[in-house]
Amino acid sequence: MIKTIGICMTLAACGTMGMTWAGVYEKRPRHLIAMDSALQLLETEIIYGATPLSEAMVHVSQCCDPEISDLFKKTALELGKMEGVTAGEAWNSALRAFQEESVLNDSDILILKRFGTSLGVSDREDQAKHLELARSQLKLAAARAEAAAKKNSTVFRYMGFLGGLLLILILY
Amino acid sequence: MSFVTFSDNNITGKPAVAVVFREIFPILPNQLREIVSGLPEDILSQVEEIRLRQGKPLILGLNGNDMFLTPDGETTGLPELGVVVTDHDLSKSVQLISGSSIYAFEEEIKNGFITVRGGHRVGISGKVVVDRGKVRTIKYISGINMRIAREIPGVADKVMPYLIDTVSKEFCHTIIISPPRCGKTTLARDIIRQLSNGIPDLSFKGCTVGVVDERSEIAGCFNGVPQKDVGIRTDVLDSCPKAEGMMMLIRAMAPQVIAADEIGRQEDALALEEALNAGIKVLTTAHGSSPEEILKRPVLKEIMEKGFFQRMIILGRSNGVGTIEKIINGSELSLLRGECCD
Repeated sequence: MIKTIGICMTLAACGTMGMTWAGVYEKRPRHLIAMDSALQLLETEIIYGATPLSEAMVHVSQCCDPEISDLFKKTALELGKMEGVTAGEAWNSALRAFQEESVLNDSDILILKRFGTSLGVSDREDQAKHLELARSQLKLAAARAEAAAKKNSTVFRYMGFLGGLLLILILY
Repeated sequence: MSFVTFSDNNITGKPAVAVVFREIFPILPNQLREIVSGLPEDILSQVEEIRLRQGKPLILGLNGNDMFLTPDGETTGLPELGVVVTDHDLSKSVQLISGSSIYAFEEEIKNGFITVRGGHRVGISGKVVVDRGKVRTIKYISGINMRIAREIPGVADKVMPYLIDTVSKEFCHTIIISPPRCGKTTLARDIIRQLSNGIPDLSFKGCTVGVVDERSEIAGCFNGVPQKDVGIRTDVLDSCPKAEGMMMLIRAMAPQVIAADEIGRQEDALALEEALNAGIKVLTTAHGSSPEEILKRPVLKEIMEKGFFQRMIILGRSNGVGTIEKIINGSELSLLRGECCD
């Protein structure tokens, strides 16, 4: 009886592990696409509305995917403190906090980090170019992440269960 | 003789230190802010402007004198001991001034200044980019001048009796003549405030005032909202060209008094005439130290010779910033002048 419970638990644990890994792979392209849309919202605020950045960030955080809205919310919060923090610095500190809880990998974060250095420092034309660059990089990353997800999520899912079965065979 | 001199009337004023802390410090880069914030309160309260120039020492303008700051936060008269402003300080400052949204201030940058929260004006200089003969933007910003706007309610108390007609209880067409940095705008702002709120002592009921604030100096608007007290019956057209703005106000806002800073162009004169014909009283200012100097400028000469202004207030520095040197009855100045409120 105890053996059966042990087998079930091992299988469930390994299966969940596999599912979680697969989930990360599936979530990443989704978040990258959401980030691209959020930057599109930001572009509208900057280029057409000429909205000051702290306000623009609040608007974006309200309209974008809730899973990535923290990045914009935190940037707005830092900027709103009026403590001599520039947009780049606010963005970076928000990005550091965001990275810890995000499924985006280092290269994705690097795209956002590079984008942050140009945030708010130039006229509309120039801002449009930086936004466009960041968005095209995010799109490319999203396409690659999508392909990787297709390939890997199924593999990880099976691997979790099969690994569980293997463990059971070895142990019992 | 309708000629008054106030030797003891001085319109210098001190901005509250707390205000400077709250509104100016957030736009200074950290390193400079630390140094400036270490200054004693009596010096901070006298600061008129803070100048940052790339590779040059930071300069504080105190009552018309230049002061430098040592890295320890002491004031000094020696430029070589002063803390030097780096390009990093400047670029950070520009970002802080614009709230990291330079793209939102393209028009302001074209005009060479940005008005920040509190109505303080920050002038910018650097490499000007020109497109088809017009200024497109300023890049490589190498100089910043933060001018701390003063608001001294009650500064116009002593001049108001001379500006209100004793019989008709109407405001007289007034021009304030003053060299730069003598408190022209501060005085104009308080006159506007008093006209707008009403002056019970002179049995003057408040009237609707329209302000065309081309350089955002009078009302110090931030996001279109006046940061200075310009009274309860005042409408402000911020950053609006004077001539056009005056016409807009006449057409749409039905003001009884129109106020505009620094007239001087031909179209301003035409708009003034339009206001006069519409029965609107005018308050304006001009750069200069005497009526004679004003008469040397063609457009102003034309306006003066038409006998338009009923009162001229001459400001100077003979007794400190903002000394009211003279108030002249318009008819004394021009022989062409007919009757006037005395």
